Amino acid sequence: MPGELSKAAAIVGAAEANEIGYPEDMKTAIRLHIEAIKNVSDQTGIPISMIDGVFGAGWSSQIAEHLGIHPAYIDTTAVGGCSFEMHVHHALAAIHAGIINVALVTHGENGWSQRATKGRGTGRPQGGDKWSPDALWSSPYGISGAPSNYSHAMTRHNQIYGTTPDDFAHIAVVTREWAGLNPRAVMHSKETHPNGGPITVEDVAKSRLIAWPLTLLHICLVTDYGGAILITNPEIARSLKTKPVWIAGAGENMSHSNMLEMEDFTATSAAASGAAAYKMAGMGPEDMEMAMIYDSFTLTAGLTAEMLGLAPRGEGFTLWKNGDARPGGRLPINTNGGGLSFNHSGMYGMQLLVEAYRQLSGTAEDGVNGIKGKQTSARSCVVNGTGGSLSTTGTLVLTAD
Amino acid sequence: MAEYTKPIPEPDPDSAPFWEGAKEGKLMLPRCVKCNRVHWYPRLICPHCHSMDIEWIEGSGEGWIHTFAVQHRAFGGWAEETPFVTAYIDLKEGDRMFTVLRGVDPNKPEEIKCGAPVKVEFEKASDDVSIAFWRAV
Ligand SMILES: [Zn+2]
Repeated sequence: MPGELSKAAAIVGAAEANEIGYPEDMKTAIRLHIEAIKNVSDQTGIPISMIDGVFGAGWSSQIAEHLGIHPAYIDTTAVGGCSFEMHVHHALAAIHAGIINVALVTHGENGWSQRATKGRGTGRPQGGDKWSPDALWSSPYGISGAPSNYSHAMTRHNQIYGTTPDDFAHIAVVTREWAGLNPRAVMHSKETHPNGGPITVEDVAKSRLIAWPLTLLHICLVTDYGGAILITNPEIARSLKTKPVWIAGAGENMSHSNMLEMEDFTATSAAASGAAAYKMAGMGPEDMEMAMIYDSFTLTAGLTAEMLGLAPRGEGFTLWKNGDARPGGRLPINTNGGGLSFNHSGMYGMQLLVEAYRQLSGTAEDGVNGIKGKQTSARSCVVNGTGGSLSTTGTLVLTAD
Repeated sequence: MAEYTKPIPEPDPDSAPFWEGAKEGKLMLPRCVKCNRVHWYPRLICPHCHSMDIEWIEGSGEGWIHTFAVQHRAFGGWAEETPFVTAYIDLKEGDRMFTVLRGVDPNKPEEIKCGAPVKVEFEKASDDVSIAFWRAV
């Protein structure tokens, strides 16, 4: 039986910034935010002045100020790429409690442009704390950036379960197939990127070695992205021109912050956040007709599929290898082309939400030049964000109206 | 002594016993007086039983590889050392440390096994800081 919060609110719109990926002109994070917010307001017909809850990964007050609004609920949960799934969880509770009526979850990140802006316009403070656990106990050993960390989890999975990097390479290959159906994907084709278009397992294996066993094509892109969604109560949701996508279940959890505290390198807290989301929804993995799974790395997606109960432990990659996750497959996964081939700005949780909304509202071709193929017939979707170093997770179960 | 070119951590007051021990080649570990369990990295409160009664003990310096990777891209002083092997080490006393693993061939990662034994050694990075590294035995 569904929990009390199940479907107490719906996502009623989802939009992106005007230019994403590798824009020719440098973008600031705030521009990426604001364009997406303006677009989702236009899409839904909800005026920005009606937003009374602002949810962003770290700087909600600046965004609200930029918009000239005075929200009654301000949430800056910033625990990595899964923050946005957590924001939806929090917004659901705040709307159910009657504290707010319209929640904005917003993301703007110039992962690509910050090379050109020389680190400015990111909305983030520069530099870190010299006495943080990471600075004291990890960084002195030459690691920096996610690939250097995540590679350790791939090794452990390979040695414990007898899997290989080539097994996980199927995830990159299938995700690239989906990117071929999305003209907004960076790796859509040779027209969008010199290295775009279809790839093979061999291409993945022969791509540049970054952190063994991870080669370049096991690793996500670094792009610009702006995205925003609006969440509201059932009464308002029913009055709009856009279709509601119901938040049937939501959950969040964490296993650690620094990877030093990752107890099991072949498991994440998605098992717990997923269980909470399924319980609230009164549904299980067998009821999911598609999945949007954070794919910072092929490993992240394969491992998370196991945690969400979509495949047995050690066998997550088989969903891609056997074709289930492909276009036309039994369980489409990462239909936008993923963080691997569509877009990954550093935090990818919003990209998951925008695509899940589009799929379940039947608008998965919107915002692009009308090619067919990405839209599925799915009526339910499990969405899982992963943040940090396989640290934090937020899971949602979304259903079509 | 060759100059240490890699990043040197700035010891914090709460883990001072570790840094003092390191200078003498001792692996000092925090242990909870109440539940007797060692934890790493150092905390103000035992993450197992939440006692704040923490003592420091000298560890055996023995452990095993939990998992590892080979870094082919790095920054700062580490850039010149690539490829090098990083590893999480299961300590004999319990819990886990991160390190650059020595005594292994970064070009033959297939030969490195999770569970293989390792022992600690220290490298003097400055007058105040010695850094713990682990070596395959
Ligand atoms: Zn204790």
